[in-house]
Amino acid sequence: MIDRALAERSLDALLKRGFQKARVRLVGSDQHELQAEFGHTNLLRTTHNTELGLLGIVDDKQGTLTLNNVSDDGLADAVENLWAVTSGSRADSANDISEAQAKRVFKSGPDAPDLDLMYQRIAEALDHAKSNYPTLKMGNASISFASRHALFLNSNGVDFDTTRSAYHANLMFTARDGTDVSSFNYTGVTLAALDKPLVSHATTDTLMRQTTEQVRTKKVPRKFTGDMIVTPDCIGDFLGFLLGNIGNQPLISGTSLYKDSLGQPVADAALTLHSRPRDLVGGYFVTGDGYEAQNATVVEEGVLRSFLLDHYGARKTGRARAVTGGGAWVVDAGSTPLDAMIRDVKSGILITRFSGGRPNDKGDFSGIAKNSYYIENGAVAFPISETMVSGNMAALLTNIVAVSSERADYGSGIFPWVRVGGIGIS
Amino acid sequence: MSIRETNLAVYGNRFNAYTELRLQRNRSTQIALLNGDVVSNTKTSDGGVSARVFKDGVWGFASRPQIDNDSVIATVDEATRNAALLARHAARPEIVLPRTKTFKESDFATKRPRLSQQQSIEFLQVIDAHIAKTYPDLKSRSVARLDLDMEKHLYTADASEGYSNTTRSLIQVRMTTTNDAGQPVEYSKTFGGRGQFEDVFTEPDALFADIAATHRHLMNKRKAVAPRAGLHDVVLDSDLAGILAHEAIGHTTEADIVQEGSVAGDYIGKLVASPLITLVDFANTYRGETLPVPIYVDDEGVESRDAILIENGVLKNFMHNKESSVLFGVPPTGNARAYTFSDEPLIRMRNTAILPGKDKLDDMIASIEDGYYLLRPSNGQADSTSEFMFGVTLGYEIKNGKLGSAITDTTISGVAFDMLKTVTMVSDDLSWTCAGMCGKKTLIPVGMGGPSIKCRVHLGGV
Repeated sequence: MIDRALAERSLDALLKRGFQKARVRLVGSDQHELQAEFGHTNLLRTTHNTELGLLGIVDDKQGTLTLNNVSDDGLADAVENLWAVTSGSRADSANDISEAQAKRVFKSGPDAPDLDLMYQRIAEALDHAKSNYPTLKMGNASISFASRHALFLNSNGVDFDTTRSAYHANLMFTARDGTDVSSFNYTGVTLAALDKPLVSHATTDTLMRQTTEQVRTKKVPRKFTGDMIVTPDCIGDFLGFLLGNIGNQPLISGTSLYKDSLGQPVADAALTLHSRPRDLVGGYFVTGDGYEAQNATVVEEGVLRSFLLDHYGARKTGRARAVTGGGAWVVDAGSTPLDAMIRDVKSGILITRFSGGRPNDKGDFSGIAKNSYYIENGAVAFPISETMVSGNMAALLTNIVAVSSERADYGSGIFPWVRVGGIGIS
Repeated sequence: MSIRETNLAVYGNRFNAYTELRLQRNRSTQIALLNGDVVSNTKTSDGGVSARVFKDGVWGFASRPQIDNDSVIATVDEATRNAALLARHAARPEIVLPRTKTFKESDFATKRPRLSQQQSIEFLQVIDAHIAKTYPDLKSRSVARLDLDMEKHLYTADASEGYSNTTRSLIQVRMTTTNDAGQPVEYSKTFGGRGQFEDVFTEPDALFADIAATHRHLMNKRKAVAPRAGLHDVVLDSDLAGILAHEAIGHTTEADIVQEGSVAGDYIGKLVASPLITLVDFANTYRGETLPVPIYVDDEGVESRDAILIENGVLKNFMHNKESSVLFGVPPTGNARAYTFSDEPLIRMRNTAILPGKDKLDDMIASIEDGYYLLRPSNGQADSTSEFMFGVTLGYEIKNGKLGSAITDTTISGVAFDMLKTVTMVSDDLSWTCAGMCGKKTLIPVGMGGPSIKCRVHLGGV
């Protein structure tokens, strides 16, 4: 799919131009996508691309250039362009490329898409919706097969050859009964094979059913502080503040709330969070800064075990580089069955989608609980609308009350239901 | 092959159904300084050829990164095969798409000499050094330049043709300090808009007054109070009115969202807002002024025209591509846009704004006894129900008609078609922004504009 000789010529050309350190990433990708709109499959899309990313360092100055469709003539221009970009920058001794590692070839996923099966699976999902949920209106639904072959070379001798392919399905839907309309909802899964109906993955069928229930909603009966059971569909929104504050920028600038928290509790002991790029279908083999990716436990029983600094961030801050590039998140299952978790809530909500403003640097947040339910006296009472939830993201993690024994697998992440207390609901 | 100079009409003989052929290249520059260090210094060029074919009621699409004769032919042929392949599974009754024929060119490239990367970095360094020297109370500062040029050349089976080079250049300044409790407090502001860097930014010191205002707001936020959760009288400044127009109304009136079940589908001809509200998705020009994201011909070869969505409070129209215009029995509005060469065009907004009224901002603030003046949005999201949410990063209390303390970052929400009925005052000015990217399957730059409006919304808080 891609020309190894082009990657090697590119690295040679950078070094010959005078760069003291250089990195080349050549990526060839093919994607086949079947898309349905409004219940009908209506688009077959095939895209091909080749992308060449060049990084050069001279006198501690760094620049990067990314372009697609590179010929040998274009390569010479690109190298000159990168020289101009780099030499105009400022020296920073933290700029560097990844250290020497063993040459590796990685491969995962099917060699080619099964287009007939892709069509069958999307038609099956549309039929399932039509048969089981007559008020459900399917919006954009798609299955794609993406294959990506990448070469990662640098002047320290790093040589990674990776091939990765997977299916990805997205379903979006709304329910309408007469003039009553639900909020839209959606889900997506990354899959190694299309061996099961799409609606059987993660929480897909549950979301479809719930959406039909949500055409008629009520407001919560009063403003109160209560519990929130966060579904696997939106737990990522509530982990994002922690994960966003243990990376390069907030740690380099010193603005992170977690800058002194390594080895300290940042969440209730019920939370254990891993990054598993080597295990998940939606993972990766090589980190963005050029290291073989490894799985890592970021939060272990509530204690922060790793920042998410890359090679530059580690050199800049004098801290350890993370062995993962982040993502591919997996939260360990807890011991509380979901039914029992709901039964334990006196007054609260079950939140399936969070539509909120970006939390500020302190972690304060507020937003709307979408596609969500009011819980009263241990039972799901009714679907809600126009309900605002507010709190603090850092406090929310320390206020985890329980983690469910069930989890949903999205291919790019595996998450349980999580009950938290102390949430403002209005 | 030059995107502009390539004769695409010669490939018309390979079209055996309705076909769109597009050459496109997006070029971007990103430079970021964090506390004086260059943490990003990148140029990107992403382009190629795409073709989309409509046959037997379904679409085939293909794209390749090479822009040459063989690639164009292979791409057209692959898109044609894809349409035929899908039609064997899922053919639908043939829809006859409206025939459109136009030829438009627009080029917003600068005529000035281009700055080198070194000069660009030095430009940012002057700004950064000014901030570091003038505002020593900051814990952290960042200055970033973000440019995007989108060059497209389109030819369709109807012999419609368009060339465009749509450019924008932004500088984002972010400042962080700490409050008395030692907690971080941040505020950022993005400057710039349509045009390449040399046309948008002349001298670094031209931004210093705006940076001073940004710092002043940040210092006010150091002592911010939490807003009270609940429904309040507010004045939404123009940036918030713009995102309201885009997110809360705009998305619900895109014809594909209407087909998915948007509540707006039932409201054509009905009063959905105060009669003070007129809301338009402009194609390219308003009162003789070229707008932030000017679209003259869309990516289906349709001459873009303004879509009047709400007129004096009454919902009038939706935004359309060719296919939806057939289903709704109206002319297409030229809203079909693609972000990269490998994206098919979707119904997207262009420059969406609430039109100005007759009130003065000072009078609007003075008319509120107990409420809030909300100025800057962060992110926003809408829904098929027209329920919306925006993050707010800058706002002030209003007490007895006067501005009070700054408030902490919050979120506002409401049901747009209810909330717009609460509008009682609209200011007589209008300002535009094009700093944001709209996300709907793919990203795309959009323009948003608005006056200030007085209304009632739900605030998150304590």
